[in-house]
Amino acid sequence: MQESLGNAVVEAIALLLSGDPALWEIIGISFTVSGTAILLAVMPAMVLGFALAFYQFPGRRLIIALSNTMLSVPAVVVGLTFYLLLSRQGPLGDMRLLFTQTAMVIGQIALAFPLLVAMSHSAFQAVDRRAWETAITIGQSSLGALFLIVREARFALLAAVLAGFGRIIAEVGASMMLGGNILHYTRNIPTAIALETSKGDFAQGIALGIVLLVLAFSLNILLHLFQGKGVLS
Amino acid sequence: MTSLEPMLSFTGIHKQFERRAILNAAALDLYAGQCHLLLGENGAGKSTLLRILAGLLKPDAADIHFHGYSKPTMSWQKSRPRLRDTVMYLHQSPYLFDGSVIKNLSYAKSATQGGSHNDEAVAEVLSWSGLDDLAESPAKKLSGGEKQRLALARAKLRNAPVLLLDEPTSNLDQQSRERTIALLASLRDEGVSMLIACHDLAGFSEIANGRYHLAEGRLVRSEA
Ligand SMILES: Nc1ncnc2c1ncn2[C@@H]1O[C@H](COP(=O)(O)OP(=O)(O)OP(=O)(O)O)[C@@H](O)[C@H]1O
Ligand SMILES: [Mg+2]
Repeated sequence: MQESLGNAVVEAIALLLSGDPALWEIIGISFTVSGTAILLAVMPAMVLGFALAFYQFPGRRLIIALSNTMLSVPAVVVGLTFYLLLSRQGPLGDMRLLFTQTAMVIGQIALAFPLLVAMSHSAFQAVDRRAWETAITIGQSSLGALFLIVREARFALLAAVLAGFGRIIAEVGASMMLGGNILHYTRNIPTAIALETSKGDFAQGIALGIVLLVLAFSLNILLHLFQGKGVLS
Repeated sequence: MTSLEPMLSFTGIHKQFERRAILNAAALDLYAGQCHLLLGENGAGKSTLLRILAGLLKPDAADIHFHGYSKPTMSWQKSRPRLRDTVMYLHQSPYLFDGSVIKNLSYAKSATQGGSHNDEAVAEVLSWSGLDDLAESPAKKLSGGEKQRLALARAKLRNAPVLLLDEPTSNLDQQSRERTIALLASLRDEGVSMLIACHDLAGFSEIANGRYHLAEGRLVRSEA
């Protein structure tokens, strides 16, 4: 076992370095799906985060409580919810979305959105109230003032995006339930790891695990850098 | 230099915070090239009043009259865009954006030249405020006195007819205080109308043409 594990790690690294097409296809699917989900979620989430920080409106406290609660809902429960909605008998069954990349994107948006809202809310909250007034009083339009506020909060906002991406690229529950782990289509890094390992093929699982580890490591370094910047400035 | 006719008049300013009246039918006039002091105790409502005058904080009610402008008296809501183009508010401690001194100046839009300003204008306000050597320094790292001067440089570039200053010297030492007051005097002499909120007269009486005293939500005016 010891020896075969050692062999598997060597094989995994060889797979990665040799540019094994099957492996890199899976990695590509992960990045496409999670990248699309983040791109779609980021704007509305940040607009909401901005509104929560700068405006009083009915339902504001409810939204804050809701997004904080959603933060700790497990991915598999989010997956189950959308599975029930999208399955043949479900209310959205006619759209035939279950076991597609679109379904995975929807599930990942649902996972990333509350985190993006909560983190951009606090990013905007950290911007001094005087920043808005100053921007307006030196002659900026509302849009110009908004741009300056976003610029002031840019490191914390980037940190929010990285944290959101980190959460969804590694989650297995929603991807498995909504994507169905279909080879060449919806099999992404976490579902492949779960499947290949259960089949006893350790090398591919380890190779993909290494990719996630390297990614998590890089994201954390970047996060650390951005958060440090945010505090300093 | 001074005209008898005010350029801007405010009447019936009302503002409550949590059912507590901070401003109650306050009224004031602003004159081109004149400087008035706004005196009042802590919590009297000076900053609140200045924010309303600058179109930044919505009052419960207020009427505004721009003299020499065809429209009659307007509500605050209706005149807000015009107020924001006429009146500039300077915070007690200036807020400066991330970036260099030059970068901060570039964010200020001229109220008179369709928003734009050229490099010469920037160079001019830099030397006017004595910040030439700090042009490339990060604004957030400036000393209190330098920050205040950058805020004034930004205001000069903005070129708004009315400047409202919230305790502009409260955090400064004697030397910076005198320097700031000299800059204010030069702006007034260029025809800028000024209202300066302060606790005590310290140094301001020499540039002031008159005073407003804010107490119990009302403004009482006295000439210097
Ligand atoms: N956003 C707000 N919500 C509730 N109360 C407020 C708000 N802003 C100001 N107040 C209250 O209104 C009153 C007037 O405040 P303001 O800051 O205008 O006073 P000030 O005359 O500028 O005082 P200081 O000399 O200390 O600067 C204070 O009692 C303050 O607590
Ligand atoms: Mg004040």
